[in-house]
Amino acid sequence: MTGFIRDLMEKMMPQPGGIDCGGVMAQLYEYLDGELDDPATMEKIRVHLEKCRRCYPRYNFEKAFLRFVSDQGHTSAPPELRRKIFQTLLEEEDSH
Amino acid sequence: MEEEASGKQKEFESEALVHLDTLYNVALRLTGNASDAEDLVQDTVTKAYRAWDKYEPGTNCRAWLVTIMRNTFINQFRRRSKQPSPVQFDAVEDTSVFEQVQDRDPEGSFYRFIVDDEVKQAIQELPEEFRIPVVLSDVEGLSYAEIAEILDLPVGTVKSRLFRGRRRLQQRLYEYAMEMGYIR
Repeated sequence: MTGFIRDLMEKMMPQPGGIDCGGVMAQLYEYLDGELDDPATMEKIRVHLEKCRRCYPRYNFEKAFLRFVSDQGHTSAPPELRRKIFQTLLEEEDSH
Repeated sequence: MEEEASGKQKEFESEALVHLDTLYNVALRLTGNASDAEDLVQDTVTKAYRAWDKYEPGTNCRAWLVTIMRNTFINQFRRRSKQPSPVQFDAVEDTSVFEQVQDRDPEGSFYRFIVDDEVKQAIQELPEEFRIPVVLSDVEGLSYAEIAEILDLPVGTVKSRLFRGRRRLQQRLYEYAMEMGYIR
């Protein structure tokens, strides 16, 4: 029922940025990933997110998640591997 | 002759070896362990060095290297392990974690308490078809087009795998945060 009322309210409310919440959510990852080619669509989504109390928290949550994965998911190559690779390249050169 | 070789090595170092961290990361997520990852990086770098004259300067060196790595992995390493089976749609992908936490932690503060080892483990547990797009995009920052090229997939498929992979990863991290009491 809540979902129904929410949908109804959404239909009655003006659509910030000239795009509806469904449209913004469908393109949210592309927006966050900087993968939208059309500057007009990007601007619509930006304006929508700025004004929509329903979409902004979702956007904010996804942004936090992506930043978190980017910060925490990385492992640097061990120095020993780096050394071995330089050694391999030297050997490659010697064999030619 | 020697000078030429040394020029090649310098060029290779400055254009290709700057991506060593990326290669190691991707290797780690492909093989699942440090020792195989090191072997895979070594094989990839050796192949790339031998094929360096086929690389067009100024084009996307990182994508070129990761493509060599993927092919090497498929040809050499996969033989040792079981082929991944096609991944079925999981109900987990239906709901976003945001729906579950919006009343308690809408900003996703619980992520801050999760340590990096746990994140890497959660990424590793993703089925390979989601794991690699997630690593290439979300950890290494490659574009959809680059990932599509490397994995030889249409861009639309990359998008949907990223979507599904992210949903699964979020859910796994959320469950972990619940277990640890980072979120109630």
